[in-house]
Amino acid sequence: MFEWLDYAFMIRALTATTVLSFSVAPIGAFLVLRRLSLAGEAMAHAIVPGIVIAFVVAGLSVASMIVGGLTAGIAVAALTSLLARMTIIREDASLASLYLIALALGIFILSAAGSAVPLKSFLFGSILGIDDETLILIGATATITLVSFALIFRPLITNTIDPVFHESQSKRPGLVTQWFMFLVVLNLLGAFKALGTLMAVGLMILPATAARYWVSTITGYLIVTFVFALFSCWIGLIVSFYLPDVPSGPAIVLVAAVFFVVSLIFAPQGFHAGLRLNPFRRRTLPASPPNLNKGDKAHEETS
Amino acid sequence: MPRSVLLSTAGLMLGYRDVTVVEDVAFELGRGDVLAVVGHNGSGKSTLIKTLLGALPPLAGALRWPAGRPQRIAYLGQRTEFDSRFPIRVRDLAAMGAWSGLGFLGRVDDECRARIESALERTGTAKIADMPLHKLSAGQLQRALFARTMVQDAPLILLDEPFTAIDQTTEAALLSLINSWAAEGRSVILVLHDLSAVLQHCTSALLLGDGRALFGGPKETLTPRNLVAHGYLSQSQAAWIEGMYRQQGVDRV
Repeated sequence: MFEWLDYAFMIRALTATTVLSFSVAPIGAFLVLRRLSLAGEAMAHAIVPGIVIAFVVAGLSVASMIVGGLTAGIAVAALTSLLARMTIIREDASLASLYLIALALGIFILSAAGSAVPLKSFLFGSILGIDDETLILIGATATITLVSFALIFRPLITNTIDPVFHESQSKRPGLVTQWFMFLVVLNLLGAFKALGTLMAVGLMILPATAARYWVSTITGYLIVTFVFALFSCWIGLIVSFYLPDVPSGPAIVLVAAVFFVVSLIFAPQGFHAGLRLNPFRRRTLPASPPNLNKGDKAHEETS
Repeated sequence: MPRSVLLSTAGLMLGYRDVTVVEDVAFELGRGDVLAVVGHNGSGKSTLIKTLLGALPPLAGALRWPAGRPQRIAYLGQRTEFDSRFPIRVRDLAAMGAWSGLGFLGRVDDECRARIESALERTGTAKIADMPLHKLSAGQLQRALFARTMVQDAPLILLDEPFTAIDQTTEAALLSLINSWAAEGRSVILVLHDLSAVLQHCTSALLLGDGRALFGGPKETLTPRNLVAHGYLSQSQAAWIEGMYRQQGVDRV
């Protein structure tokens, strides 16, 4: 039953994703809270050409991947902002256009260059792809993310709840947003090997949306998001071990999807709350208000 | 006792880079004053508030702070971008008022905690202090935001349309809270549309319109006729208000 523990690559993958869960949980939680879930997804695709070009030019090294990925991510974010300000197209359409171009360009270059890395691993991740360099990248990503969160936690909360108030309290209100987006790209790069470019953002968003149904405090929210992310990784990796043709990325994301669906149905702020709040729900009303009935005491007293 | 002036302006021109929103803005704000800023939408009320906060530099003129610009300026803006679904409780929202003074890793000490509890009591939110924001009514949320403003503990408080979508009972309670701040020697500038609130609770008024300051002075001189002359009220609106005053025996026409 526990034969997967005998394989070094599984221990490596479990260690990597455990550390990664500490890091992607707060990132995913704030992507959801800041209504940036889709922007995170778009950013995951936007970094692809940077990674691919770096791979074709310098091979599959972590350093080249970081340089390529960060460059592409920042370039797409800057271009999106520029298009939204300088043309009639809004930010969502600009971002969607640019990330689709970036994703297609990345896959085109990867295929045309006759890459040694199978396309499936690139898109969906592979347990076997987690080497020492990747472990160091994930460790560094988690360290930078957690230290950053300790420092920007309060301004990030203020900026998320009430950006106008945050602007009045901060000398450089944009800095916290920019630093957060940098952390998003860094975590996408950290998650890239285990989950692939298409699935990396799934580990950020699905545990965070599932956890949101359960809790109403930010501390509780971050803890539950982490627990969901961690168990998604562990269960997903074991599923991928027993079904060798299934890449690790979709397996992990599908486990996270199970957490999401269960939370949606059973959590206090899921469907339950929706049914309680739904104004169109059929209610059983009394035939007439009690104090208007002829024999009603209240009516007798007032008449 | 001589009046202690916190802020005075003259010939102030406000706007964004090359777009002038309002000019000739002149007023004086003493300690304990409550100044109402009145005007149609787009007349420059929020631009004035942003300039006072330091988010926008004046295009011309200057803000004069005889005793120096206060270290802390409390601010409550419009709720257009406020996210009431964020998983946080009322007590933590009030505590946000103290965060900017705590630095990156500073802890909330006993004095700060006492300030938060006192603010919750005075705004009537102590009983709902552990409720998450998404369960609050508009009035409860505004009370919680007033608690945050109190926790900022500032000598100057800026409120931008604080009574939008708020019921009259809550508005009355919050207006008396503003008066209690003034009694403590804090100065308040608030953007308002309700003329009766201006006349009952403010010490002075500033009317903005047509790209300039149309009126600035003690509230007693801001009459319905005056507002008609400056184009803020129509004749029929002024006649209705005058009728209400007559009914209440108020001599302010």
